[in-house]
Amino acid sequence: MSDDISPRLARYLSGKLGAHVEVSGLDRIAGGASRETYRFRARYDGRERALILRRDPPASLIDTERSVEFRAYGAFHKLGLPVPEPIALELEGAALDRPFFVMEEIEGCMVGSILAPDPYGSHRRKIGEQFFRVMGRIAGADPHALGLADFEGAKDAADCATHELARWEKEIDEDEREPQPIARAAIRWLRKNPPPPARKISVVHGDYRTGNFLYDGDGNIRAILDWEMAHLGDPLEDLGWALDPLWSHGDPSHPAGTLPRAEALQVWEAASGMAIDPAALAWWEIFASLKGLAIWISAAREYAEGRNSDPVNAFSGWYCLSFHNKVLADKLGTLAGAA
Amino acid sequence: MKLDTGSVLNITAAQLMGAIAPQLPPGYAQSSASLTGFLLTFCAQDHDSAADTRAAENADMRALFADLAAGVREAALRDRLLAASQTRDASLRISALDAANAELRQLLIALHEAVDGVPAAEAKIWTVLRSLAARRVVMLPGQ
Repeated sequence: MSDDISPRLARYLSGKLGAHVEVSGLDRIAGGASRETYRFRARYDGRERALILRRDPPASLIDTERSVEFRAYGAFHKLGLPVPEPIALELEGAALDRPFFVMEEIEGCMVGSILAPDPYGSHRRKIGEQFFRVMGRIAGADPHALGLADFEGAKDAADCATHELARWEKEIDEDEREPQPIARAAIRWLRKNPPPPARKISVVHGDYRTGNFLYDGDGNIRAILDWEMAHLGDPLEDLGWALDPLWSHGDPSHPAGTLPRAEALQVWEAASGMAIDPAALAWWEIFASLKGLAIWISAAREYAEGRNSDPVNAFSGWYCLSFHNKVLADKLGTLAGAA
Repeated sequence: MKLDTGSVLNITAAQLMGAIAPQLPPGYAQSSASLTGFLLTFCAQDHDSAADTRAAENADMRALFADLAAGVREAALRDRLLAASQTRDASLRISALDAANAELRQLLIALHEAVDGVPAAEAKIWTVLRSLAARRVVMLPGQ
């Protein structure tokens, strides 16, 4: 498949960049189930660039608007955050059968596997400080100044929780293949115990977590990736997601496998300029596990119904689903006084 | 260890993760082969526990319905709960246990909605939900 699309990609980029582009070394890499991700080299104008192609799969895990991801990359790249430069966006299927976009590849970096017990080793503090600082800067940025104020999501600070809860409940309604009593109970609890309004409307990355950033051998975060679920909302949504035990490498006291929790929150507060309301954060942390369930339920359906046979969907729909069911049952069960 | 489904799945997973995946070029193919190995270990765990897990869950939910049905105001739901509490798993085929499990889970959702705000009943339901969640947890290789 990679060999098939190289000449077509070269033709497309030649037209887009106004130069004769040669494409070589196209190779699919692991990059999530919502987009097919390839790295390749493009030679044009006497230079060679390492680029990434992100193409829609035949069936997408969560329906996301690819222009959202492209625009988010562009806005936060300009803001000076470690985000790859987007190069070209194609919304039609004529060039490569499906919509896609191209961005620069950040070379010589690693991704921390969520399954590794200690992915960052001696760099865990350094990476943690950057991880929570960059998240805080995203939270503190003005969506209007970024040019992203038209993104999907809540427009009123009082509506963020309701909006997101409805969005993910709808995913569960549409994709569940068997009754989900823990998810349903969690939805009822979240609805009955709403958080206070957001301190402000921010751009929410939507999947800000360990495994979705690149770092180099010196412990520098070089790229925040996977902006496909970016939207407007409560900045605590990203924080709650990043703190989730699934991304904590077996030690929730050190979220994302990095800093002690209290320090992580201090770094975020300093970078965002916002104080964290503990009650609000608690709600968004429970919501994060429910949102996870919704994504894993969708992944299981895509895989089971044969629309997307990437094994990451089966892994998500099995391991991650069981993980988040247990997290929610333990948390909410404790609140309800269960034995 | 004799040759059975579980041992075949576990040995094949080990081969895939330890011998085959490292021979593949780094990238999507290698990552997917390793992940497929993980899936085979999940299948091995489920092969051993699937019938026991489902039968135990079904029994727990039926016992819960028998315990809480009397406190449900809506007569139709109360009758359904009592009827379900009397059922038994006639077959140990996974497909049959799964079908019963799905019906019982749907009824559990209805029961939970019906007793919303009744702390004692909710605590009992969460105890069962915790148990359901704990039984379905799958372990990563080496855990």
